[in-house]
Amino acid sequence: MTTADSSAEIDVSRLEELADVMLPAAHGMPSASDVKAVVVYLDQVLGWRNDLRQSLARAVAGLEPATFTVDQLAALHEEDEDAYIALTTAVAACYYLSPEVRGRIGYPGQVAKTYDPYAYTEWVAEGLLDPVVERGPIWREAPG
Amino acid sequence: MTYRADVLIIGAGASGGVAARHLAEHGFDVVCLEQGDWPDRSAFPGTRPDWELAIRRDWAMSPNVRNRPEDYPVVHDDSDIEPLMYNAVGGSMIIYAGTWPRMLPSDFRVRTLDGVADDWPIAYQELVPYYDAIDRQIGVSGLAGDPAYPPHDDYPLPPLPLGMAGRRVAEGHNRLGWHWWPEPNAILSAPYDGRRPCVQRGVCTSGCAEGAKASTDLTHWPKATAAGARLITGARVSRITLGPQGLATGAVWLDRLGVEHHQEADVVILAANAVGTARLLLLSADDRHCPDGLANSSGLVGQRLMMHPFSVVTGWWDDQVEGWQGHFGASITSYQFYETDPDRDFVRGAKWALSPVGGPLNHILPMRAGNEVWGPDHHELMGRTFGRGASWAIFGEDLPEESNRVELDPGRTDSHGIPAPRVRYRISDHSRRLMAFQEQRAEESLTASGCQETAVASMIPYSGWHLMGTARMGEDPASSVVNPRQQTHDVPNLYIADASVFVTSSGVNPTCTITALALRTADLLVQHRSEQKVPA
Ligand SMILES: Cc1cc2nc3c(=O)[nH]c(=O)nc-3n(C[C@H](O)[C@H](O)[C@H](O)COP(=O)(O)OP(=O)(O)OC[C@H]3O[C@@H](n4cnc5c(N)ncnc54)[C@H](O)[C@@H]3O)c2cc1C
Ligand code: SF4
Repeated sequence: MTTADSSAEIDVSRLEELADVMLPAAHGMPSASDVKAVVVYLDQVLGWRNDLRQSLARAVAGLEPATFTVDQLAALHEEDEDAYIALTTAVAACYYLSPEVRGRIGYPGQVAKTYDPYAYTEWVAEGLLDPVVERGPIWREAPG
Repeated sequence: MTYRADVLIIGAGASGGVAARHLAEHGFDVVCLEQGDWPDRSAFPGTRPDWELAIRRDWAMSPNVRNRPEDYPVVHDDSDIEPLMYNAVGGSMIIYAGTWPRMLPSDFRVRTLDGVADDWPIAYQELVPYYDAIDRQIGVSGLAGDPAYPPHDDYPLPPLPLGMAGRRVAEGHNRLGWHWWPEPNAILSAPYDGRRPCVQRGVCTSGCAEGAKASTDLTHWPKATAAGARLITGARVSRITLGPQGLATGAVWLDRLGVEHHQEADVVILAANAVGTARLLLLSADDRHCPDGLANSSGLVGQRLMMHPFSVVTGWWDDQVEGWQGHFGASITSYQFYETDPDRDFVRGAKWALSPVGGPLNHILPMRAGNEVWGPDHHELMGRTFGRGASWAIFGEDLPEESNRVELDPGRTDSHGIPAPRVRYRISDHSRRLMAFQEQRAEESLTASGCQETAVASMIPYSGWHLMGTARMGEDPASSVVNPRQQTHDVPNLYIADASVFVTSSGVNPTCTITALALRTADLLVQHRSEQKVPA
């Protein structure tokens, strides 16, 4: 379904440098390049979302990695919203695909769980709803 | 060769599916035209690693973003809220959240009780048997006895799990002395009617691959087609045709290749949702009989669009609650601030529904509450919030205004060249006061539930999931489009089964009421079949 110019070239090493400014090593988390986020996952991300490619190429070409700071993102947002969305989406998607990153934030993905559908009888018996029931009806009578 | 059906239904979503099944099971020869396809559950993205990327594009809630051939664009430059929907067998239920509350008695009487808008020509009590029946057809999980409602039949299935967050907020409300109750959801908590139960994956709004979340492609269409109904997919209706006696004769539709067809029928039922139905009535204008649109002698077709101003208040605890997990849907609900309180500077109120917060991308690039943060602070923010939150989704009652409307856009068209709808909609000052009050109370709720931090995303634009009111119901043909049986005043064999007919919006999610009304309309059509006027 995604349609866009699939030929736009993205300079991966420039993007990796930009990603390291956006997601540096800090607070016990690795940087983007520590987990090789861009190098390993960019192709996969753009395979899913080829529509981002052209705007991402524009963002990468337009930002100078050597002098890039996260404060410049606000200006990018203002001047070229599509490039901003492509850059932030691609960098975040690459980083949070990394199993190491997922492990550190405790995210297993959206997984299936089993549960006992009748477990509710326990919290009902425990009296969790009693105060609500004891206050009585709160709906408003209306003429028929 | 032309073939004439007893009933032609336009749209195979929530209302269309319910009406088709009932009519087919009662011996009617039913044909349904649906512009979308049967959904392919194996293509739903929720079990894939690109899920959070997919919901921002190919699986977006907005037809304008998805931009599939079966979607039609909805022009919304002049709207504070963007209409959201899904076009397929099952309709918008394919991506809905599945919360399944009934409307309340006061919702049908806002003019009498609160001096605003209009009363409905029917009362809550008349809908109760249909609510009970539809809950059984759909397979609703919930717990009877909610003191926010008059007593009614128990739900067919036990309530879904509260989850860690639901439990904490329930305890918080008990401390505050505020109402809460497990939310009824159209999601199975146990096997039912050949379907499997919910596995709490939390991806409901991009399609439920398990089939635990009810949508009419699962709950109604297989039974309707088994009873003889014919469902034609990839069939986009361009207009309803009118015969010399002022009766509908059927509809013109285009197949995927753009070839035009005409389906004849004795009775036509519109079930294309409150944007799609208004669009079709306006598209069916004809210079001689109805220059302003079909069934539009009142001038009200397209007007009084309601979409429920929607805010999200998120709270974060200082420990994990697996905030990405759980049905989406809602675990618990609160009607504490639903009914009118004369001490406030607004009337009516809002319903709250507690839901999960999503995966990592939704935290960093939030579609709801929160900010984007980059640099070292990014990790601090993620460490503080990820997996630790839950959101109150707040639906405010939206009072109808004629200036909020669906029109035809002079420029944009769908993939068949049919004019697209344009929506004009402004959130009123009254709604803004109502929502500001609710947002403050919701922050208090989450703080009392132990959250360290809260954030409000106020009246977010990307929230037009409840489309209502563009062909209102009433007794008087001068001030309404359909009568209480949902039969258009102007064209006695043209009915509307969807939420276009809503007189007011209530403050609750509408689909339980949409389907109960669709079942009632179909049932009344069966009961009155011998009196029904049909074309010669
Ligand atoms: C993201 C999201 C979340 C939601 N969550 C909830 C919730 O938790 N609880 C709740 O109660 N409601 C919810 N809703 C709303 C719910 O989905 C709708 O109220 C319900 O589906 C409306 O039913 P309907 O029959 O009126 O229309 P739909 O279900 O939208 O079906 C209309 C059908 O008509 C077809 N159609 C339209 N025009 C044409 C045409 N010209 N030719 C042929 N076919 C046509 C469409 O393709 C579509 O399949 C949600 C909606 C969305 C989008
Ligand atoms: S959480 Fe339950 S209802 Fe939602 S998608 Fe998963 S299985 Fe379906």
